[in-house]
Amino acid sequence: MVASARSGSKPATQQSFAQRERARNADHVGFLRHKAFRYLWIALMLCAATIAGYVMIDQEPRPNGGSWYGYTLGTIGVALIIWLSLLGVRKRRITPGQWSLKAWTSAHVYLGLSLIVVGTLHTGFQFGWNVHTLAYALMILVIVTGIYGVAVYATLPAKLSSNRNEMTRSQMVEALTAIDRQLETAAQPLGREQSDIVIAALSQDIFFGGAWGRLTGSYRGCATARALNALDTAAGDEASAKVHALLSRRAEQLAQIRRHLRIRALLEVWLFTHVPATIALLAALLAHVVSVFYYW
Amino acid sequence: MAFLIRTIDTTAAGREIVRDRTIDTDTLSVGRAAENDIHLPDLAVEQRHISIAQGADGMVVVEALGTLGFGLDGRVRTSATIDPQTGGEIELGSSRLTVAKDAAGSLTITITQAGEKGAKVDTVRGFQLASTLPSKRTMAWTLSLAILVLFLTVPVFTHLTRDRQEVGPNAQKLDRVALDSTWSSGTLSLAHHDLKDNCEACHAEPFVSVQDETCLTCHEELGNHAAKPRLAEGMSVPSTFDAIQWSIAQKLGKEGPGSCTSCHLEHEGNVRQKAATQEFCADCHDALDARLTDVAFGNAADFGKKHPQFRPTFYTAYGQKDPVRVSIAEMPVEKSGLVFPHDVHMDQFGGVARMAMSLPDYGDPLDCASCHEPGADKVGFKPVGMEDSCESCHSLVSGRGAGGGFTSLRHGDVDDLMEDLARIDRSGPRRPIVSGRSRPGEFATGGTYAANFGRPASSLIGINRALLPGGVCGDCHIPTRKGGRPDLIPVNLPDRYMQHGFFTHEAHKKEKCVDCHEATTSKSATDLLLPDLASCRDCHEGASAIRTKKVVPSGCAMCHGYHTPTNPWPGDHPILQSTPDGRLQRETDSVASISALLKK
Repeated sequence: MVASARSGSKPATQQSFAQRERARNADHVGFLRHKAFRYLWIALMLCAATIAGYVMIDQEPRPNGGSWYGYTLGTIGVALIIWLSLLGVRKRRITPGQWSLKAWTSAHVYLGLSLIVVGTLHTGFQFGWNVHTLAYALMILVIVTGIYGVAVYATLPAKLSSNRNEMTRSQMVEALTAIDRQLETAAQPLGREQSDIVIAALSQDIFFGGAWGRLTGSYRGCATARALNALDTAAGDEASAKVHALLSRRAEQLAQIRRHLRIRALLEVWLFTHVPATIALLAALLAHVVSVFYYW
Repeated sequence: MAFLIRTIDTTAAGREIVRDRTIDTDTLSVGRAAENDIHLPDLAVEQRHISIAQGADGMVVVEALGTLGFGLDGRVRTSATIDPQTGGEIELGSSRLTVAKDAAGSLTITITQAGEKGAKVDTVRGFQLASTLPSKRTMAWTLSLAILVLFLTVPVFTHLTRDRQEVGPNAQKLDRVALDSTWSSGTLSLAHHDLKDNCEACHAEPFVSVQDETCLTCHEELGNHAAKPRLAEGMSVPSTFDAIQWSIAQKLGKEGPGSCTSCHLEHEGNVRQKAATQEFCADCHDALDARLTDVAFGNAADFGKKHPQFRPTFYTAYGQKDPVRVSIAEMPVEKSGLVFPHDVHMDQFGGVARMAMSLPDYGDPLDCASCHEPGADKVGFKPVGMEDSCESCHSLVSGRGAGGGFTSLRHGDVDDLMEDLARIDRSGPRRPIVSGRSRPGEFATGGTYAANFGRPASSLIGINRALLPGGVCGDCHIPTRKGGRPDLIPVNLPDRYMQHGFFTHEAHKKEKCVDCHEATTSKSATDLLLPDLASCRDCHEGASAIRTKKVVPSGCAMCHGYHTPTNPWPGDHPILQSTPDGRLQRETDSVASISALLKK
């Protein structure tokens, strides 16, 4: 049903081979190359037109968001920002037809980038500690995180895949649990102090470290690493040697999980700025527009 | 003495497995080590952790064997006594040992495992970054609300509820609206800098643009360029694009063309307000006569290319009541009422020069500055005074006074002069008729009846001739008769010749006077020694001219004001873009202004 709706009103059987081939090929073209960079060209033309206008119009005493050209650029900018932010609505609606989500995403990326030019020209390069520059800064923040998002989506999934080593996420956790069970048994003969160290390592949350730890890969409070260090010095008897070996295995398994966490965090973190900053930008934009006309 | 040990384990499915065993001993040892009576494979438990013994009175005594205590009914102890009738729960690591006496009377210790504390991990969610960060929704709402409250609600609310205060130069400069400084789109100009915290002084009504009325509360003395209907009539027809712009602006509450804010933009940086451009003036004045047919002045669009000849204001007839405005092109004759050949006075080798060289006050031949002294404002010159500038040569000394000094004829009033002249001969000695003898007694000179029988002719002749050419007055003045009596033509010199534009001599001090004023060849005071348009154009060209060593691009505003068209700029007026010293005013260091400069 969905397939026939997507490829048009004709049933699949009545389509020519070439048509089906084209549709299949289009399915494998990413949103960046969609329709031979159609939206990239549209965005470039928009930038060229606005820059040409900016250079040719001799605004006295200096270019300003409050001149007629400034208002024009501002209106284009507001319309673009509102439309771009509607991607969040569009992607939640599974709608068939002309407005494919891929086309929408492609336009979102390229027209979003053109806002750098439109928005900056709208400012007339006048910045200050005010709500207007706040809106501009938020817009730039959203665009920069968006660029980052596109970049990491292109590069990081491959790394994520190679780090998995054909393990699923739950398999990674299960492997760690298996090591933990062996550790628990192996640590039985240990004395109080060493037992506490092992308990600390075992009881620490797998996902310990918070967002910062995930993003940087630095886990200063890692109990497993501490246990390894502490047992190293006290090594000697058979039991602690076995525990030490198991702790090393635990650390390795943890490292794989943490690499996975890091890549995922790097892959996901932009959205945690992009989305809240977009909503904040809409608020700042409202304050910007209202304040300008309030003190008209 | 026997203990019944009951171990209860729970399977993954939740089924309980109960195992009982009896240990016949007085003291039970509990710990992680395998040799204990009760073996708890739990790392949190000591190798030998506690001992449990039955006391003589039937009570159960629990003792910690190491330094680590145990939990009893939720509290940590190292030693405790439990009444088996009421029972108690000992906590060791994750194990619970419930001590109780069963129905048969034997002491039972039930071992159960406490539920795993938070051991279950939501693996899929844990891998997401979202599990460590506040949700995007929370962050979005928090940020947006903060922005809307701080930058919109607070300023709007405080603006609507503020106490209205008087606006004007003497009003208190109080900031009644909170956080509206975050709305400022740029620094105010220098002139309005004091208002920087007082936005509501200009932005009085919400969603209403700054009104002329508000500007005029401070700038009430400002002159109108012309009456509003006449301005509207004289204005050029706006282009379709401009008309569309204005109709949109007026729908949004702007006052329209000609309002203060249509020219005077604010928040453009900490600079002086700029004067209008040449194009601004040329818009109307380029073809003004087509729309306003009754104007006396010609069209003007560019000083170098299209500007009417100068029309100075001066006196063209003797005794004229008011000065008239005549174009230099008509070769006008100035009738100031003075006789003054500039060429004679400025000749470096003539009699005047010789005379001046002999006088200690001059020492050199005369130059312009010998008589013309700049005024305090350096714009023009002080009036030339007879006493200061002429009298050292054109002496009015009339004789010796009683005190040994000289007496002078009074200058400025013909009646005074006549009186002074008449007195000369009366006070002069009379030649004695007989030498060596004098009249006796009271008839003698100085006596009561002394009489001067000398000829009155010299003083009468002096009086008659004084006003004629060659006489003491006639050297410089023109005689006439008034009411049957001899008199002089009054001197009529205007204070300013150019009354409809602004010229400052200070800006031209590097030039020689005679480069513009042809004084060295002027034989008569009737020559109007003002430079014409062409001679100004030697250096001054329109605003679009390219600046060179000689050429000064000159916009309309260099000489004309919009609000004060007939007066010079006030002293505190903004420096114009092309200052006399030729430097361009650099407004700001912003990229925009630099690119604007490059464009030019």
